[in-house]
Amino acid sequence: MRPFTYIRPATPQEAVGAFAEAGEGARFIAGGTTLYDLMKLTIERPAHLIDVTAVRGLDRIEMDGDRLRFGANAAMSAVAGDPTIGRDYPVLSEALWKAASQQLRNMATVGGNLLQRTRCMYFRNGGGGIYPCNKREPGSGCAAIGGLDRGQAVLGTSEACTAVSPGDWPVALVAMDASIEVLGPAGSRSLPVGDLYRLPGDTPHLEFTLGPGEMITAITVPKTPAGRLSTYHKIRDRESYAFALTSAAVALEMSGDRVEGARIALGGVATRPWRASEAEEVLIGHLLTPELALAAGQAAFRDARPGRHNSFKTELGARTITDALIIAAGRGRT
Amino acid sequence: MTTTPFKDRPRIDAFDKVRGATAYAADIPVPGMLYAMLVPSVVAKGRIATLQVEDAINVPGVVRILTPDDFPPPPEPVRFPNADAPPTLHRDIAFRGQPIALVVAETLEAATEGAERVAATFETQPFAATKRSALAVREEARPTAFGDAGAALAQATMTVDVEYESPAQHHNPIELISTTAVWADGRLTIYEGTQFASGIKEVVARILRIDPGIVDVKSPSVGGAFGQKGWVQQQTAIIARAAMLLGRPVKLVTPRGQIFHLAKFRPNSTHHIKLGADAAGKMTGVHYVADQQQSRRGTFPPDYHAGPTRLYGIRNYYGGGLDYRIDTQPPGHMRAPHEHPACFAFECAVDELAYSLGADPVDFRIANDTRVDPQNGRPLSSRHLNECLSRGAQRFGWSKRTPKPGSMRAADGSLVGWGVASGIYPALVTATVATLRISADGTTRFTTTHHEFGQGIKTAIGAVLLDGLEIDAAKLDIVLGDTTAAPQQITAGSWGTFSVVPTAALAVERMRAAISELLAGRQVSGAIHQQLAAIRRPFLTVEVSLLGPGQDAAALERLRRGQYAVAGPTFPDFTAMSYIAHFVEVQVESTTRRIRMPRVVSVADCGRVVSPRTAVSQVRGGVVWAFGAALREVTEVDPRFGGFLNNDLADYVVPVNADIGEIDVDFIGEPDPVANSVGVKGLGEVAMVGASAAIVNAIFHATGKRLRELPVRIEHLL
Repeated sequence: MRPFTYIRPATPQEAVGAFAEAGEGARFIAGGTTLYDLMKLTIERPAHLIDVTAVRGLDRIEMDGDRLRFGANAAMSAVAGDPTIGRDYPVLSEALWKAASQQLRNMATVGGNLLQRTRCMYFRNGGGGIYPCNKREPGSGCAAIGGLDRGQAVLGTSEACTAVSPGDWPVALVAMDASIEVLGPAGSRSLPVGDLYRLPGDTPHLEFTLGPGEMITAITVPKTPAGRLSTYHKIRDRESYAFALTSAAVALEMSGDRVEGARIALGGVATRPWRASEAEEVLIGHLLTPELALAAGQAAFRDARPGRHNSFKTELGARTITDALIIAAGRGRT
Repeated sequence: MTTTPFKDRPRIDAFDKVRGATAYAADIPVPGMLYAMLVPSVVAKGRIATLQVEDAINVPGVVRILTPDDFPPPPEPVRFPNADAPPTLHRDIAFRGQPIALVVAETLEAATEGAERVAATFETQPFAATKRSALAVREEARPTAFGDAGAALAQATMTVDVEYESPAQHHNPIELISTTAVWADGRLTIYEGTQFASGIKEVVARILRIDPGIVDVKSPSVGGAFGQKGWVQQQTAIIARAAMLLGRPVKLVTPRGQIFHLAKFRPNSTHHIKLGADAAGKMTGVHYVADQQQSRRGTFPPDYHAGPTRLYGIRNYYGGGLDYRIDTQPPGHMRAPHEHPACFAFECAVDELAYSLGADPVDFRIANDTRVDPQNGRPLSSRHLNECLSRGAQRFGWSKRTPKPGSMRAADGSLVGWGVASGIYPALVTATVATLRISADGTTRFTTTHHEFGQGIKTAIGAVLLDGLEIDAAKLDIVLGDTTAAPQQITAGSWGTFSVVPTAALAVERMRAAISELLAGRQVSGAIHQQLAAIRRPFLTVEVSLLGPGQDAAALERLRRGQYAVAGPTFPDFTAMSYIAHFVEVQVESTTRRIRMPRVVSVADCGRVVSPRTAVSQVRGGVVWAFGAALREVTEVDPRFGGFLNNDLADYVVPVNADIGEIDVDFIGEPDPVANSVGVKGLGEVAMVGASAAIVNAIFHATGKRLRELPVRIEHLL
């Protein structure tokens, strides 16, 4: 482990200022559940850590007006355990509950979670440079392509990278049209959560659209009755404490059995949180039947490009969407 | 022999464990400690060309960097089993992850940074990463045969001819691999979580060319052993050498990622089984050939076929084994090392044969019982496999099963499958010595051969001592795994209880006789402590040693010299085996095909049960591990690079609590009448054996799919 400086500013402005002052090699750190891990693996080697956990007022959960607002420092467990969120937006609550472990959820923040880096095994086995990885070392190649790619993405991949975007929470937020508030050297701005993530293209080392020194301060979710008819359905290699093989965040607006509105986003299968608008279009205006739900699921994977060991993700992903739709719709029939 | 069941007692170290007070080797505080970190090779085969350590030595806090130049040449190989000296640091690279240097520093952080800054270049050579690699070298082991398997199979009414695959798997106990070495006053003391303290004493002395008489090894409590810590490990002599060169204590705790290349693992193996039965449903012949991945110089034998020879009364048998030598670290023992993969394969084949014959899988097994060891015709010391099967079937509700695959459904529409399989493991024993001292001050100290690693051996010893002697339980100290207290023997192969519980019983008998002699007819009331006080004896000591059936004084001598002193399962007058039957329910989701295991019933014949609570625990743990082996765990190799890729706990998928349903455990509990004075056999290994097959057989019953490669994953059922 390399030495680094460490400070704990008390306000967002101080944090952004400290980052600018620190210059090269600065990183914000919140719960530390990803960054410390990557530091131990020598993938991240920050020279300066700016710990934002002492920033006051950044952990509020607010529900006034026409939106939900989560301060970036709110713990995953705090949002997951909020009874109103659990009742009115199960998709948000479940995406958090089904991630990591209770210990990690107590530490990790809902803002930091958005910046979690990929779990691609070739990326994480960085130390010593055994496996080429374009994310770690641009231009070195991608060992996952043509390798052990069972966990890799089938959507949004490029010739340079197939690494999966690992999160659950960002997937739910993308389905719910959420935005983030960002503070940086040039002031504050907001952007849709979906726009935070880049496709790998030929620059897979560039993962996020945040500028240097920009910090996520809050997440906002427009209120919608579709929240009640929602779920986050996650299929993984064990019953808990695992990343998704396939997952689907689904929220519906129904008129009886007819779908009026549908929001579907996918995790575990794509290089960024993936809004499946093709699947949504299949549903709108139709009666929701198991057959239609499966057709919607299959539509989401029409452009899938599987590798050697992950072609099952297209079928499993389609069935995951199917089940998620049935679960979400079932929440209207209490 | 008394046959009264032992009563249920709490685990002797439970209170310490739940408070986090149990001290493991890496917890032992030593003043002046230095911290070490290994530098692993990034190439799979070749030779170190250059090793640059200047950058590393300049890291503040780094004290010294050991390289291959700091070690004597390797010792001559020795001929007795279990005594191979692992390599220290070498210029020749035999596998990726092989340690090439050791950085020692004042802090763990400095050692870690130093290790990152050691720069090596290599002359690389082509390597074989898997059994299927072009450079893998095929090597046949000596086959075992009796009867005429070829003829029996040719005459069989029904045969199956199937191949099963068990993947490479790695031990992942929470306790990481560690060694602490202290060199002081002309003695080397090693603290390490090991199953073989005396093995370390002898082998490390041989590697470092010092007198074993100056080496002490203490393995206070091991956090998960299961074979990973049965052999002398690669880091031990390296750390000992560092401590001797520096004159200060040195501690290494290896990171999780390094364990995948440093430690022993379960090799990938393929099992080709031909099995035949006659029209009456009797299995008549088996031809079983297994092959496995092997390191270039590894000695872990490919004898998978050995266990199933004794599972049923099959009179015609051919068993062969093959190594594929490749460029990996040596594979080795992992819980039920041969029997688990073998009984996965064999018990799935038996299920396939039963289905082919239209026979019920439980009835079919019961009809193939044996009263003798089919290998040699010797009587079996005790065998209650059929009782395990019939009692298990009853507890499980097997009679409600409809045999047709896919014919049973759960309320939520999931497919339900019920599967059964048997397991077997040899009953083995070692020579032991023990010293029992009871003092007038209320304390009792029992020191003996063997190690505690959570299996409950102290609790079992305690049960015998507390049942037989009126002593203060709160002041009973049982000392294990310490070469300064008693010569140690490898504790493995389920032989701990068989070996040391009869020794404890003998010590009890001798102590009672000694007390009675001392009292010489006087009536003194109270516990033994009070009796000693009354007759003004500060303490009373008895020393005992015990051999297994057929062992002679040479075994005791091997024990005292840290050599292998194990006997069984074939003894002069009988063969002794433990048995188990597992019944499993799986449910397979109809859409996304997730496989759940809501309940298991396991009934074991391990002879008399000395410690009911830890015995139940052993079986539950075995079933959980079998679940992991069947449905979760595989260490993956990218053949382009060699080494193991998924080297952390996120990607090496072990079961979690939410994966495990109800595990109902029962024991036959019949004492073995001849194996030893207490009537015990062994349990820890057999607990796991066959459970993976029961799971896979249940999946077949649920889905109609025969899956012959582990782990079974969601994509195999889509």
